[in-house]
Amino acid sequence: MTQSNILSINNLSYVIADKHILRNISFAASVGEFIGIIGPNGAGKSTLLRCIRGITPPSAGQVLIHNTSIQNFSERELAKRVAYMQQDVSVNFDFSALDIVLTGRYPHLEWWQNERQQDIDIARKNMAFTGVEKLEYSSVNQVSGGERQRILFAKALTQETDILFLDEPTANLDLVYQEEIFRYCQTICGRGKTVLMVVHDLRLAAKFCSRLILLAKGNVLVDGLPDDVLTSKYLEQAYHMDTVVFKNKTTGLLDIYTYEAGQASNSDINVHIIGGGGTVGDIIRQLFNNGYKLSGGVFHQGDSDADVAEAFQMDVLLADPFCAVSNEIGRLNREKIAAADVVILANLYFGPQNIDNLQAAAHAKKLIIVEDSPIEQRDYVGGQAVLIYKRLIQNKGVIVLTSEELLQMIEDNKLADQGVQLSKLTAD
Amino acid sequence: MKSSNYRVRYLLPVMIIILVLLSIIATSWGQVGVPLANTMEIIFKHWGIPGYADITLNPQQDAVIYFIRLPRVIVGILVGAGLAVAGAVMQGIFSNPLADPGIIGVSSGAAFGAITAISLGLTTSNLFTMPFFAAGGSLLAVLLTVMLASHKGRIPVIILLLAGIAVSMFMGALSSGLLTILNEHRVREYLFWMVGGLDYRRWEHVYLAAGPILSGIGICCLLARHMNILVLGDNEARAVGASVQKMRIGILSVASVITAFAVCVSGAIGFVGLVVPHIMRIFVGPDHRLLIPVSALAGGIFLVACDVLARMIVPSIEIRVGVITALVGAPYFLYLLRRVQRSEK
Repeated sequence: MTQSNILSINNLSYVIADKHILRNISFAASVGEFIGIIGPNGAGKSTLLRCIRGITPPSAGQVLIHNTSIQNFSERELAKRVAYMQQDVSVNFDFSALDIVLTGRYPHLEWWQNERQQDIDIARKNMAFTGVEKLEYSSVNQVSGGERQRILFAKALTQETDILFLDEPTANLDLVYQEEIFRYCQTICGRGKTVLMVVHDLRLAAKFCSRLILLAKGNVLVDGLPDDVLTSKYLEQAYHMDTVVFKNKTTGLLDIYTYEAGQASNSDINVHIIGGGGTVGDIIRQLFNNGYKLSGGVFHQGDSDADVAEAFQMDVLLADPFCAVSNEIGRLNREKIAAADVVILANLYFGPQNIDNLQAAAHAKKLIIVEDSPIEQRDYVGGQAVLIYKRLIQNKGVIVLTSEELLQMIEDNKLADQGVQLSKLTAD
Repeated sequence: MKSSNYRVRYLLPVMIIILVLLSIIATSWGQVGVPLANTMEIIFKHWGIPGYADITLNPQQDAVIYFIRLPRVIVGILVGAGLAVAGAVMQGIFSNPLADPGIIGVSSGAAFGAITAISLGLTTSNLFTMPFFAAGGSLLAVLLTVMLASHKGRIPVIILLLAGIAVSMFMGALSSGLLTILNEHRVREYLFWMVGGLDYRRWEHVYLAAGPILSGIGICCLLARHMNILVLGDNEARAVGASVQKMRIGILSVASVITAFAVCVSGAIGFVGLVVPHIMRIFVGPDHRLLIPVSALAGGIFLVACDVLARMIVPSIEIRVGVITALVGAPYFLYLLRRVQRSEK
């Protein structure tokens, strides 16, 4: 434990009726951290916040603030150090927004004191910060869900604590407001506050939090930087959901693709995809969803097909951008093609840099050619591509489909059958 | 609270004027009609206001005004104010707009305590024995209700009401059992404790109730800001550092003692604590720092007005004021219940 730890949780457990809701949770937070607590429903995220705050007394373990156990603080002293924004607050009476925000000043006032002008100023300042200053006199029961959350957030800020606990503050919010709350938190963390937030949206957590703690079944599964926590391995363990985590090239952010792994086991079927130029994204995704073992080539670096292949962690051959496929890569491509059970040739446009892909296709055991437009329109090498293509189609076992037909075939899980049937047909 | 400042600045003085005027009218009006001017003369003379000492009074008017009607009106103000404040406080503490000393069983608990003191023959020895027992009964009732209704630290609106009804009926059964043993012919006595009224109230009742009720209201005014926090619910209140249980028990005890003294001098008058704070909340908002003093004044006005009504409807026989408040309050309660149900959906 270092001096900079503002909050330490040691071996915290919460047991209710012999059921471990939280099990031996330990972590420490230092000043300025914006920690997102993520995990599936029922992982114990909200319970963890309540236990740390002392609202629900933990069954075992210790919570230290500035190296002092929270049990040594009175409720009021604790409230001066930690603000806690609950998931749903029901106010049965028509208090105005300012009234609610002012309740944040409660721990700072003596029991006989009324709010002073300075308290009202602090409340107004925070309402302006969260953009609800115009709602001062509106009843909290008559504002929108988003406004209400921002009022409650302003209340938590008005408590002027070093630590803020926020339990899904973005629930019920529009996308814009969700981001806004995260941005506010990032800003206040930059000013030296420490935020612990239960987050549902993993993408937002990845975008804004400085650190993530992934809970699963009451345990800390992993704790670290967003890039290290949000991996398909951990997400699969926590959420029991098949995911692909990748860097979204458009946003530059971590993104998550979820899918349901197909029922049929296709993992022993090798499919090689000859693509490029953004022609095979859908095909790769569909094949991946259905659990095929994938390889691909030769794609050019920076091509969106290359990005898709990378996201799905595919065994892929890459060539330098705008260059012809080198002999070495071409040889490797032919090897993979020869080894694959099924080879898919995409609806490619052929130029000098990728004509080798077309030549390599001849090595396929079973070739499926995708043809959405006639080859004549896709030949940029003066008729050479047309020639090779025509010859390829003559080969035994080759079938020609549109993208749509192919995707349907993959979805129906008939890719392998097709190959077998075809080989039978040609044998006859 | 700032928004309602403007309205409140005028509301408090206006209410005080209404209360005073209403009290004078209630004192002078009745079977024995006494002109307003004479009424004032009688009161001023008794209070030793300079210039009124030498006035000769009509002895019959003097007796009616000063020894029958005035204490009755003052008891009415005290009881109305006390019950309204107790209601406002309980609604705040339970964060439930339907709480009221009558509805959650506090009044019948107090009545049971008072009857116990009477049946044990303790009331003659000390003036404060009966209120002491009444306070005990009311605290017992509130404890029972809360224990029955709370589940995991939460008290759902409807469960609180059901628990309150159960406790009320239980306490009522004990009371009527005791009264039967005491003297089965004393139906009037029974009526007094079960329905509540202001008839036959004397100065001794004023002296008994004034101190505790007024100081109880004072304490509630002082703690009003804390009630604003309690209204937000357990977790929210604890999040800002309130010692929820301690405060809840403390404030609830004060409200129960107020109720106990009100019940001792007037029996169990229902619905004042429900109707008055609710209507006042519409005027001044939910901030208890305003709601409590305003409810106190409005409670006094409401009960004195109901009493005038009770005396007015059939002049020869007085209807008990508890009947009138129930006639006004019960429909209002049902209306509120419907609204709460709708908002919970």
